[in-house]
Amino acid sequence: MWMLSALPGRGPAHLQRPLLGPASHLGILRPAMTAHSFALPVIIFTTFWGLIGIAGPWFVPKGPNRGVIITMLVATAVCCYLFWLIAILAQLNPLFGPQLKNETIWYVRFLWE
Amino acid sequence: MGSMFRSEEVALVQLFLPTAAAYTCVSRLGELGLVEFRDLNASVSAFQRRFVVDVRRCEELEKTFTFLQEEVRRAGLVLPPPEGRLPAPPPRDLLRIQEETERLAQELRDVRGNQQALRAQLHQLQLHAAVLGQGHGPQLAAAHTDGTSERMPLLQAPGGPHQDLRVNFVAGAVEPHKAPALERLLWRACRGFLIASFRELEQPLEHPVTGEPAMWMTFLISYWGEQIGQKIRKITDCFHCHVFPFLEQEEARRGALRQLQQQSQELQEVLGETERFLSQVLGRVLQLLPPGQVQVHKMKAVYLALNQCSVSTTHKCLIAEAWCSVRDLPALQEALRDSSTEEGVSAVAHRIPCRDMPPTLIRTNRFTASFQGIVDAYGVGRYQEVNPAPYTIITFPFLFAVMFGDVGHGLLMFLFALAMVLAENQPAVKAAQNEIWQTFFRGRYLLLLMGLFSIYTGFIYNECFSRATSIFPSGWSVAAMANQSGWSDAFLAQHAMLTLDPNVTGVFLGPYPFGIDPVWSLAANHLSFLNSFKMKMSVILGVVHMAFGVVLGIFNHVHFGQRHRLLLETLPELTFLLGLFGYLVFLVIYKWLCVSAASAASAPSILIHFINMFLFSHSPTNRPLYPRQEVVQATLVVLALAMVPILLLGTPLYLLRRHRPHLRRRPAGRQEEDKAGLLDLPDASVNGWSSDEEKAGGLDDEEEAELVPSEVLMHQAIHTIEFCLGCVSNTASYLRLWALSLAHAQLSEVLWAMVMSIGLGLGREVGVAAVVLVPIFAAFAVMTVAILLVMEGLSAFLHALRLHWVEFQNKFYSGTGYKLSPFTFAATDD
Repeated sequence: MWMLSALPGRGPAHLQRPLLGPASHLGILRPAMTAHSFALPVIIFTTFWGLIGIAGPWFVPKGPNRGVIITMLVATAVCCYLFWLIAILAQLNPLFGPQLKNETIWYVRFLWE
Repeated sequence: MGSMFRSEEVALVQLFLPTAAAYTCVSRLGELGLVEFRDLNASVSAFQRRFVVDVRRCEELEKTFTFLQEEVRRAGLVLPPPEGRLPAPPPRDLLRIQEETERLAQELRDVRGNQQALRAQLHQLQLHAAVLGQGHGPQLAAAHTDGTSERMPLLQAPGGPHQDLRVNFVAGAVEPHKAPALERLLWRACRGFLIASFRELEQPLEHPVTGEPAMWMTFLISYWGEQIGQKIRKITDCFHCHVFPFLEQEEARRGALRQLQQQSQELQEVLGETERFLSQVLGRVLQLLPPGQVQVHKMKAVYLALNQCSVSTTHKCLIAEAWCSVRDLPALQEALRDSSTEEGVSAVAHRIPCRDMPPTLIRTNRFTASFQGIVDAYGVGRYQEVNPAPYTIITFPFLFAVMFGDVGHGLLMFLFALAMVLAENQPAVKAAQNEIWQTFFRGRYLLLLMGLFSIYTGFIYNECFSRATSIFPSGWSVAAMANQSGWSDAFLAQHAMLTLDPNVTGVFLGPYPFGIDPVWSLAANHLSFLNSFKMKMSVILGVVHMAFGVVLGIFNHVHFGQRHRLLLETLPELTFLLGLFGYLVFLVIYKWLCVSAASAASAPSILIHFINMFLFSHSPTNRPLYPRQEVVQATLVVLALAMVPILLLGTPLYLLRRHRPHLRRRPAGRQEEDKAGLLDLPDASVNGWSSDEEKAGGLDDEEEAELVPSEVLMHQAIHTIEFCLGCVSNTASYLRLWALSLAHAQLSEVLWAMVMSIGLGLGREVGVAAVVLVPIFAAFAVMTVAILLVMEGLSAFLHALRLHWVEFQNKFYSGTGYKLSPFTFAATDD
């Protein structure tokens, strides 16, 4: 999928190699963060909202409110999926990073290992 | 689709009601609430209609009822609500009810009059007794010490023989606020020849009419001389004082007092009897009044409905025209059959064709009622046009939530609404009279959905009372940046702010899977990122919402048989909207996907591209997003502009061409008919609405009717301008989604930082912090509810409403219809 090429160029393999930067004299190893994939959330959420919006209407029991309930299911699925998609697409290729205070950097650096 | 998709089919029904059974039939129809009567006697004034005498009798009866109700209220009793089903009584019962009511009213008036008289008398006696009982010490003591019947004046009169040296007394009672004036006037008028003593009673006496306790001042005036006496009497008369005979001898006074007390005791017994009788009468009123009121109200409503029917030429039956839902026609016929067979005649109803626009009927249950109410507040839909309400059930709470997104606030709103929904059947909740509570209660399902969606958008915005949560690990690695850029402790101490660079390997590890990355809540430049994100989100949501509105118009055109409008209006509209603003959405998404941090310095600006697209110009510093971008953009702009004349002239030319054969066939007669048609428009029939019908393009049977070319062209020109300019302004209008969500986030953050954060940071010892946190949390909670929930909630509600009413609905909804309001007694039964 051409969309996956939009990820930053480093794949998971690079992260296995320990990074010893200038702080190595302190005995700090490379950050043990896992990369977030893009494909997995897309598949999961598309399937989830797809089940609600496309498969759900088939299971609504017959009654006077069937039409309204189907409309509600489809509309909910579309709105919520679109909103989530916008949020993740906006963060896919950030053009700039967060600007942090030095205190924040001090503790987050060791906290979010 | 469900019955909410568009109005139900409503038919015009003609009812033939034989005179004998007309009353029962209409009364039965009122109980069922199926039909709306049309007024066939609109040109007849209210005083000339057939049943005006009966209506008048009902109204007089209602006046008597009001009098009785007032009396009941004065006695401090409460009318019990009427029980059971009370159908409108047959006309012959009206006389009986009238007689009973009149009798009760007369009795009540008599008893009340007696009671008033007795109480006034009692009051006088009590006052007299009080005056006599009040001791005016010095004067009486002075009167006593003399002992003999001759009294010596205490002051020597300056010259002249005295005719009368006896001391006389005037005793009475006056209201306290008049006492000083009385005293002054007496002193000035009869200087030296009187001694007046004023004393206030210890206990207030009950006022006979109002029943309120009133204070009285008693006075005792001792004077010499007949003329002085006359002056004093005149003055006391002037002041409306109560004057009582005052005997000089104390035993006589005591005897008089005893007699007074005996009299007042007897009077009180009589008064008690009167009041017992009064309560008996009131008890009968309480029994008669509630059902009587309901019955007479229903009877009056039935006669008013009968007044709207016209009389047939044989005077044997009444003809009524009514709007009735097609689904209810069998029930209507059965009701008529049942109520008329009792009288031995038969009433019939059959459908007749109509040229007027029928009323709109959309059946709702208690869940959908509030959403339909929102749509109807803008305007009730035209007969059988697409109803925006089923979509509003979800899009309204969703757009509200986009502006309100916070998990904590959404949860509070959801719980409040849930409490109302779970308690909705309790009688205490239903009977509450407070208007503000009623407003919130009627919108409980709306609040429920709004809260639910707010929780979802709160998770996406990653805000819970303005704090971010790390459900998943963040996608930004500070450690990698620090290690790779050599951020030693000394370096950090020198620089207060440092920025993470996504170009450095290992810093950005991928997009956060659900929502906004929590690192942004720690960043100083979080608004730069969020603003960009939210603005683009608003435009995307806006274009999708508006395109959906245009698509809904397709259903209208297909249903009303105007398929030419699909090609001549919907297609150009969609091309214009999607070609320009859909392309903007495409640019946004393309940039998100394809421009990475590596080329961040020279990233193309969508705004400049969009402006250049319309100006057909070129900025050399702004690189294109994709090859041949300028060609594509130019094509799109030309295509969109080409749609404007199609939109402007397409439908009018088509309609004119279709009618030209008709026009050519009868040119002369047609012209006159056209003119006559135009002249008839202002004073058409009662439910005429011809100009609106024309504007909408009309139904098929209007083809033979007026088709004025200039009007059609004018209407289409207005529609075109409105749509094209509206596209631009409405898209910008959706930016309020960004603005309000930013305001909410900032308010929430300020409240946290200024209140709770300070409270949590106070004190190292556990005890101090715990004590201080209680008032601080109280302040935080109160301000959260007042500012963030109530104020921001109302604000977001209003803006979401505006987006629906204007930006969404003006793409397909006209809202120029009227509701079916059936003839029913249900409203009067409560």
